Amino acid sequence: MSSLELLAILPQLVLSLAIVLQLLLIAIRRSTLMIQAFTAISIVLAASAHFLVLPAINTQSTVLFYLDGFSLAISALVLFCAFIVCLVSGRYLKVSQEVHDEYYVLLLLVTLGASLLAISNHFASVFLGLELLSIALIGMVGYLRNRRQTLEASFKYLILSATASSILLFGMAMIYAYSGNLNFHHISNSFLAVNNPQMQLLFNVGSVLFIVGLAFKLSLAPFHMWTPDVYQGAPAPVSMLLATVSKTAIFAVLIKFWFFSVQYVSPNGEHQLLNVISFVAIASMLVGNILALQQTNIKRLLAYSSIAHMGYLLIILNVMSHESLQMAWESGLFYLLAYCLATLLIFTFICQTSKANNEQDNDNWQHWNGLFWRSPAQAAAMIFALLSLAGIPLTAGFIGKFYIISTAVNNDAWWLLASLVVGSGIGLYYYLRIIFTLFAKADNQHLIKLNRLSHAVIVCLSITILIFGILPDVISEEVRFFALSKFG
Amino acid sequence: MILTQILIALLTGGVIAWAAENHRANTGRWISLLAILFSFGLLAEFSMDNPQLFHQYLRLANVEWISAFNIYYATGIDSLSFILIALTLVLGVICVLVSWQEITDKVGFYYFNLMASIAGIVGVFIATDLFLFFFFWEVMLLPMTALIAIWGHENRIYAATKFFIFTQVSSLLMLIGIIALAFIHQQQTGSLSFDYFTLKQMAINPEVEFYIMLGFFIAFAVKLPSFPVHTWLPDAHTQAPTAGSVLLAGVLLKTGAYGLIRFVLDMFPQASSDFANVAVVLGVISILYGAKLAFAQTDFKRLVAYSSISHMGFVMLALFSFQQISYHGAILTIVAHGLSSAALFSMAGMLYQRLHSRDLSAMGGMFSSAPRMGGMLLAFVAAAFGLPGLLNFVGEFMVLTGSFKTYPLHVIFASLGLIGSAIYGMYLFQQSFQGEAKHSITDLGKRELLICGSLLGLLICLGLFPELIFAHFPEQYIATVNETAVIGVNLTEASASELVSSHIASTNAVGSK
Repeated sequence: MSSLELLAILPQLVLSLAIVLQLLLIAIRRSTLMIQAFTAISIVLAASAHFLVLPAINTQSTVLFYLDGFSLAISALVLFCAFIVCLVSGRYLKVSQEVHDEYYVLLLLVTLGASLLAISNHFASVFLGLELLSIALIGMVGYLRNRRQTLEASFKYLILSATASSILLFGMAMIYAYSGNLNFHHISNSFLAVNNPQMQLLFNVGSVLFIVGLAFKLSLAPFHMWTPDVYQGAPAPVSMLLATVSKTAIFAVLIKFWFFSVQYVSPNGEHQLLNVISFVAIASMLVGNILALQQTNIKRLLAYSSIAHMGYLLIILNVMSHESLQMAWESGLFYLLAYCLATLLIFTFICQTSKANNEQDNDNWQHWNGLFWRSPAQAAAMIFALLSLAGIPLTAGFIGKFYIISTAVNNDAWWLLASLVVGSGIGLYYYLRIIFTLFAKADNQHLIKLNRLSHAVIVCLSITILIFGILPDVISEEVRFFALSKFG
Repeated sequence: MILTQILIALLTGGVIAWAAENHRANTGRWISLLAILFSFGLLAEFSMDNPQLFHQYLRLANVEWISAFNIYYATGIDSLSFILIALTLVLGVICVLVSWQEITDKVGFYYFNLMASIAGIVGVFIATDLFLFFFFWEVMLLPMTALIAIWGHENRIYAATKFFIFTQVSSLLMLIGIIALAFIHQQQTGSLSFDYFTLKQMAINPEVEFYIMLGFFIAFAVKLPSFPVHTWLPDAHTQAPTAGSVLLAGVLLKTGAYGLIRFVLDMFPQASSDFANVAVVLGVISILYGAKLAFAQTDFKRLVAYSSISHMGFVMLALFSFQQISYHGAILTIVAHGLSSAALFSMAGMLYQRLHSRDLSAMGGMFSSAPRMGGMLLAFVAAAFGLPGLLNFVGEFMVLTGSFKTYPLHVIFASLGLIGSAIYGMYLFQQSFQGEAKHSITDLGKRELLICGSLLGLLICLGLFPELIFAHFPEQYIATVNETAVIGVNLTEASASELVSSHIASTNAVGSK
């Protein structure tokens, strides 16, 4: 293993080392504050390792990992989200003398799993990363064992996650039978060698199973049933982790698998797999948005809207020509970034108004009545995040939507576009309702006090959303660089 | 950069008004008023210095904005934009004046939203980059929605939501059209472009062009609003605060007409002439349907709202008949309706302040106690149904005369709308000010007299001398629009760039001065 190869997986090595040190730290001295600080610092270290990794872009590191610009960007995004989660968890968990060191160990494990997924290019590493991510998450979902809903949520997640994993494995096995290789890059190559309709069928079925497995984890319709319950039942910071870190990493796997393996398999107009994806995308956009309409619980609402957002993202898989590939990579990256920023912001707010020892989180958005008149800065930040999710100009979400529509127009995906328009029309309704609630005449006068740290986090995130929305040039150079480096 | 200065003046005015109001009450309205007057001064000075400038649509500023998509911050102006910006600023002053005493709650934030909305509307009229146009198009809606949702009447949330969803979904179709245009440009030349002038000269496959045109058309028809996508308008108007209604009816609807002229007709001449039959029928239906429903209303504002649908139907009819006279008529109708509906909505606001009701059946016989107010209302109602001597008459007359050549049957039906407007106009006046006296109210105050007087003055002045507006539209410019639509004659690339460079030189001279 050359030093370049080692360098390529430096952030992941840092994270692994940090986990080991965490365990040692717990053995030496138990203090929540200390372990939280340690976790935050190690995430920052891993994130700064990304700067060192830059020369190693486009390096195959062992058979399992391949570091390219896209993976690097996703990995950085994952670490950023994990960092915010780590920051806001502290106040949420601080309710008694209990020391929450295992929470932070699980958090780092999830982060490591997600980060491995981002750079993995091989079914083995995908599976390892996924399991690391899911199993640690199950622990976190059920972390507040005194809550009623938590048990249900973690059971649901455990069982469905295990089911999804086995479907995923079955799909992988079929693809392996077809291609004789587990590496994404080689799967499409072997297509050129094997040209037998039956084998082709095997590959298609395998791919469908693989995609279904990922769709379970991404909670795409019609595999979305577990999402709202798990989002609602899990502690707020864990829902935040689920919504950002896990979705981003798993979507990265899907997009890589698709563009590396499937994209070139049927160059002559056979798009059976694409039909499957389009169906899932349209179903997710419509189901997610329609079901979100009736929610009074913000966590459930965000769960349904995340289904819709993953549906929007699937549009970029519909790429018909080699030229528009780069656009698709860019769109995916930018949209994920915008989605994560807005989701983090809203969840930060929920986390900071809730406490771990309550029966449930403070997640009824009707309680935010008149927030704008009491604390304008926080409410304005929330409004920007909601507008960003709705894809209205001035916010990053709009540019993300612009990217996605551009990709779709470029590839003549008119049906997908139609459901995007319908879906966002429905979506506007519930986002607007929340915004209007923030503006309503206040009847409850009690002030929602956030501590300085989370106030700063919220304000910074909202400014970032605005900057990316008004001047996307500040980031689009980087996005383009990471997307371009795909092609070496 | 003059247009940008106007934008910045309006926006900073709004921000300062917000901040100042929190420190000292009743300063916000003065600051807003001054900011609008200042912008108006900027615009006036600019037009005095460059009178020849407006005859051709020209780009004034071109700054790189989003390089990833080759998007520019590009602004431009011609007579059409100029008149609409002037109308926006005049009505902006009216908006501040009608809000003077009406708004007592969260005043600072109110003026911020008002100013931001005005700035957004001005932005729509000056953008020459399609992405920038879309950006302003959306941005002007946010503060408008806030105005309705926060300071509106009892059913405001419903109305604001409906307004926002209608306009957003339709404009998403336009966004798809814009992106499709940019990518067609990329296929043809290898680079993306959102520039109006570049895209206008591009040759597009007729079938594709038709669908893209349709996307634009739907967005503008919703805003206009035309039957059958008009249902947001009565709700939004009824629930909005007075200034919101004035702004909505006075200029926001005009962005739809502006879009039809600037983008649908100018960029897709062939497709729009293919679509003209449908559009004209929609226009005629809007005229008759709006008039019919206006008559059936018992709510003052709702009546005026439906009458707007009827009047904007004339604009649609005029634009899609491709006649020079009716095009002139459309511009006049736009201005006339802007002024007269603003006046009627201001009246509605004043009555609401006195009676706390907009219900016509509860009004009546107020002429004896408020003769000046009654007189004003009669004048505005007369303007709305097209009394000769007022601007609306000239506009609608020209629309009907011009369109008769191409669509005689449609025009015969459309002219029934004039009778309809006379009926609902008189009904409105009779119900409120004639008959048995049910209320005794105070007459117009000084500020209110100023509002009504200035609007009436403008209506009469422009009605007697419509040349004041025509003078900005020299024959050949209108003919170009006309011919583009029918034959497809365009300014050649060379002469356009020449004009641009000579213009930039002149603006630099203005700037340095």
